[in-house]
Amino acid sequence: MVVVYNIYIFDRHCECIFYSEWNRINSPLAAAAAATEGIHGNKELRGNQVLTTDNLDSPRSSFDQQAPLVWPTTATSTAHRIAPESPRNVAMEEEAKLVYGVVFSTRNIINKLSSKDSPQGGNPGGFMSLATNTYRLHYYETPTGVKFVLNTDIATTSMQPVLEMIYRNIYVEYVVKNPLFRIDPLKTTPIENDFFRAVLNNYIREISSPLSAV
Amino acid sequence: MSKQYKTVGEEAWKKIDKANAELFIFTYGSLVVQLVKDYEDYGAVNKQLDKMGYNIGVRLADDILARTGLERCADFHATAEVISKVGFKVFLNITPTISSWSPDSKEFSLILDDNPLNDFCELPPKAIQDGLWYSNIFCGVIRGALEMMQMQVEAHFIRDILRGDDTSEIRVKLVRLLDEEVPAGDD
Repeated sequence: MVVVYNIYIFDRHCECIFYSEWNRINSPLAAAAAATEGIHGNKELRGNQVLTTDNLDSPRSSFDQQAPLVWPTTATSTAHRIAPESPRNVAMEEEAKLVYGVVFSTRNIINKLSSKDSPQGGNPGGFMSLATNTYRLHYYETPTGVKFVLNTDIATTSMQPVLEMIYRNIYVEYVVKNPLFRIDPLKTTPIENDFFRAVLNNYIREISSPLSAV
Repeated sequence: MSKQYKTVGEEAWKKIDKANAELFIFTYGSLVVQLVKDYEDYGAVNKQLDKMGYNIGVRLADDILARTGLERCADFHATAEVISKVGFKVFLNITPTISSWSPDSKEFSLILDDNPLNDFCELPPKAIQDGLWYSNIFCGVIRGALEMMQMQVEAHFIRDILRGDDTSEIRVKLVRLLDEEVPAGDD
């Protein structure tokens, strides 16, 4: 009974190169998507009607939709969930930075306390997950500096094998081995690969069970 | 420790998809020939091969980690073992010998006795004279892969069978360990 809420992938330059969500209330992506839909006239908004709390509060399950919300997207990608000319989603950027800060600092503290810290980073202290009373955050870091953050329900204790699978069989296969994905020592390249998104979505769907109707 | 790397390398080699060696050798050969025609300067060809190797190397690092599940090496000796017994073994099925460690353990040599890329190749005297290193792509691969593992190294050929020496030797030197990047602070 695993419920996966969302996933963040950070590269070695501390930037979020991929974000996707499956069951999230009050998502900054959903707000942006709904807003741009309104601007482009796909959805009718009368006068000063604001997006009702109704739209945003109900958990958006995307298992019944083909493509979950993903971020970042640029005009060149073929993702249709967010309008092609969407502006920078600052709320999402800030959230990604906050998440990175949390895992980075937590991992550093854990390394220091187990006296295995080094300026080269890595995860010698073995930071695996942290839990709040609403969700559990799972962390996996590769020796090349790629960091995977996965949020699930609290009951799921370990997603290490899942994160390892995602790294080995999805990230390496579809992102690293793609010659068009630029790996630059200085610049960050976001993942804009439809195969990657599709395979990841299918995998997460397989291992998780949808949010119950309670 | 080295026994363990040897087994890891061999296990991974067994599971990897294999391609025809001759196809690969000929493809590489025609690549070098095309570069020579395009640049007409063997020094530039060396640099270009190194750059191409770099791009391959940055991806190979993640690939090796995904296949073998290895963790960070404790020291540079272990790194050399992994390059030789896992890296070269998995992708080329050769195991270069490690030798000539410098006293501060920051430099070592990889001796390639049977480099498959040399199989059907003969260098013209002009190429030898002007300093072409035929398999220079290896140096780039090593540099790229180790840079992804937070190590800045320099790798270059010292001897090459194709130029008349008795074996091929790559000298790898650790320049410095790279620190992990820190997220930009809020101003």
